Amino acid sequence: MPQTRTTRLVSTVFAGLATIAVAGPATAQNLTIGAILELSGRFVSFGAHCQRGLDMAAKTFGDKVAGLKYEYAYRDVQSEARGVISAFGELGGTRHLNYVIGPTASPVVAAAIPPWQQSKPLWLVPGASSLDVENLAGQEPMFFHTYPYAYHYHKSMAAALRRALGPGKKIAVLYSDDAYGRSHMPAIEKYYIEAGFEIIVRESVRTNSPDMTPVITRTAHSKPDILLGVMQTTDSIALAKQIRTLRVKIPYLVGMAATQLQEWQAAVGEAQEGWLGVSTYLPGTEDWPADKTYPKLLPSTKDWEAKFDADYHAAPDYDDITCYANAAMLLLAIQQAGADDKEKVADALRRLDVMTPMGRGHFEPSEGTRQQAFADLLIFQRQHGKSVILYPPEAATGKLVPVE
Amino acid sequence: MEYLGQCAVDSILLGGLYTLMVIGLSLSFGITRVINFAHGEAIMLGAYGAYWAMTLWNVDPLIAMPVLMLLGGIAGYVLFRILFTRILSAPAANQILLTFGLGLILQNVALTLWSGDQRSANPAYVFSSFQLGDSTVAVGRLIGCAIAVLLVGGLFVWLKHAEAGRASRALAENGEAAVLMGINVNQMYAIAFGISTALGVATGTIMSSLSAVTPFMGFNMLVKSFAIIVLGGLGNVMGSVAGAFLLAFAETAVSYYVPNGDGWAEAVAFAVLFFVLILRPRGIAGQAVME
Repeated sequence: MPQTRTTRLVSTVFAGLATIAVAGPATAQNLTIGAILELSGRFVSFGAHCQRGLDMAAKTFGDKVAGLKYEYAYRDVQSEARGVISAFGELGGTRHLNYVIGPTASPVVAAAIPPWQQSKPLWLVPGASSLDVENLAGQEPMFFHTYPYAYHYHKSMAAALRRALGPGKKIAVLYSDDAYGRSHMPAIEKYYIEAGFEIIVRESVRTNSPDMTPVITRTAHSKPDILLGVMQTTDSIALAKQIRTLRVKIPYLVGMAATQLQEWQAAVGEAQEGWLGVSTYLPGTEDWPADKTYPKLLPSTKDWEAKFDADYHAAPDYDDITCYANAAMLLLAIQQAGADDKEKVADALRRLDVMTPMGRGHFEPSEGTRQQAFADLLIFQRQHGKSVILYPPEAATGKLVPVE
Repeated sequence: MEYLGQCAVDSILLGGLYTLMVIGLSLSFGITRVINFAHGEAIMLGAYGAYWAMTLWNVDPLIAMPVLMLLGGIAGYVLFRILFTRILSAPAANQILLTFGLGLILQNVALTLWSGDQRSANPAYVFSSFQLGDSTVAVGRLIGCAIAVLLVGGLFVWLKHAEAGRASRALAENGEAAVLMGINVNQMYAIAFGISTALGVATGTIMSSLSAVTPFMGFNMLVKSFAIIVLGGLGNVMGSVAGAFLLAFAETAVSYYVPNGDGWAEAVAFAVLFFVLILRPRGIAGQAVME
C-alpha cells in the first residue's frame, strides 16, 4: 500500500539519519586537553611561554593520540583567581574534560584547586612553588606536580650557600606580602637554620610597591651577609634595580626563579650582577640524551633547543621546556592507556619513566605530594652577564663571588 | 629619630612620582568631568614609547619625552573628538564603561604587539645616587620629582595665563556661562584631554626606568591615582598634588617606623584617606562635583 510504503520510506530515512547521528560523534570524537594558562595579566610571561611548549609538543607528537583526534582548549585566566574559576567551570560544563595542564603561577594555581575539585580531571601543574598548593592538593591521586616546591628551592639554595660560605652567616629575608612570599617562609626558616645560618631580618614587601627604599635601607642597616628576596618577577625587578641604585653593601644577593628569566636580566641591566637564582633548566648548560624509545618526541636537550630556535627564533626558558615535557608525557600516557580514560591514563603516567629534554621524566612522592617530577634544581649566579652554575657540585661551572 | 632625613627624602621623591601619576587624571576630570579609566594606559604607552626609544635608537627617555608627549597629546585630542564627544551628556556609567573598555583594548593591543614580557629602560642615571648628609638620593627618582615640579608649574602657567587655559578654567567653574561667553566647549575639552594624555605619557617615560614596563602596569597606578585625587578633592589639581604628598609621607613613614611597615604602608595610607574624607568629605581642596 502506498501509505505503508511511504511510512516505511520515512522510517528508513529516519533510521538512517539516526544511525548517522549516533555514529557521527563516535567517528569524529575529539579528546580535549584543557590548557588553562595565564595568557594575559601579570603572569603572562609564564603562560605565554608554556603555550609555546604545549604547541611544540603537539606539533611533534601529531594530531591523534590513542586513535583519537585531540586538541588543546586554551583558556586565558588573565592571571586572576576569578579567571581560573570561570575557566574550570566553563570547560567542565561544556566539554568532556579529563585532562588539564596549567596554570603555572602559585596564586593562580591555589585559586584553581576548589574548581578543579568539582570533577577532578587529571591535572598536570607545571609551576607553583607555593606550599599552599601542596597542602591543598598534594595527596590527590589526579594531581601531578611538575615543578619544584618552596622547600626544593630553599633546601638547594641553603646547601649551595653553606658549601660556598660555611655556617654562621646572617640572612635578611624580604618576602612579598602575598601567597607566594608568605608560603615560602616556613621552608626558609627550616632549611637556612638547619644549614647553620641566622635569619636576622624578616620583612614583608607589598606587591607592586612603587618604592622599596625604606625596607632596603632598614635591611642594610642590620648588616646581613646575605639578602634573600622572595618575590615574583615584577617586584624582583624593582628590588634589584633599587638595591643597585642605593649602593647597598650586602655581599650576597639571592633571588628566586625570576633571576633565570631573560626578561628579568634585560629589565634590570647591570643590576643583575651577583644575583643568585634557582632553575630547573638553563639554556645551553646541560645536554640530556634523547629518550631511547621516543627520540623524535623526546630528543636530546641540544636538539630540542635547536628545534625550538627554528620554530620560535628565541632561546627557550624553563616554562617552554617544562610545558613541552608535560604535554609530551601526558600524550605518551594517553597513548599507552589506549583510551580516553583518566584513571588508566593516570596509571600510565605514574608508570612512565622517560628521558625528556629537561631530564628524567618520572613521578615520585615528595614531602607532601604523591606525584612529583622535575624537582632537581640548579643554583646559579649571574656573573658578567652570564649564569655560572654553583650547585649541585657535579654540575658547577664556577664559584660564588660577592657582589662588587 | 633614626632614618628621619632618609624618610623625608624618600617621601618627597615618592610624592613627586605620585604627583606625576595624578595631575593628568585630575586635569581631565576637573574640566571634562569624564572619569578616565584609560589614563593608566596612557602611562603604559608612554613607558613603552620610552623603552623602545632607548632600546631601538638608544635615545634617553628624558630626550624622548617631549616627542612622546606631543604624540600622546595629539592622540588624546583626536580620541576625544572621535569618541568622547559622543558620551559627554551620557550617564556616568556609560562614560566609565567606554573608558574602561578603551583601557582593556589598549592593554591587549600592547600585549599583542609587545608580548607580556616585563621590560625596563636602563639609562645610566637610573643606577646613580648621591649622599645628602646621611641620606641617599636616587637620581632617577630625583629627576622624576623635578619633572613633576616642572610639569605642574607649566600646567599652572597654562591655566592662569594662556587663553585656552583660562577658557578651560571657565568651563570647569561654570560650563553654561562659558558657553554663553562663546567658548567652544568640545574644542576646549579635547585640548584638556590631550594635555591630560600627554601628562600620562610623561609619567610613563619616567616610570619606564623605575619599574617594570608591562601591558598591565597602568591599572595599579590608576587605582592609587584615584585614591589620591579623591583625597585631594576631585578635579582640583592643587589638591591632587597635596594628596600625592600626604599619601607619600604616610606610606614612607609607616615603611620606616612600623615593623613589617612596607606591607602595612598601603593599608595605613588608605586609612588616612578614610579619615580625611570623614573630616572633609570633598577632600583636602574641597572642590564640589556638579552633575
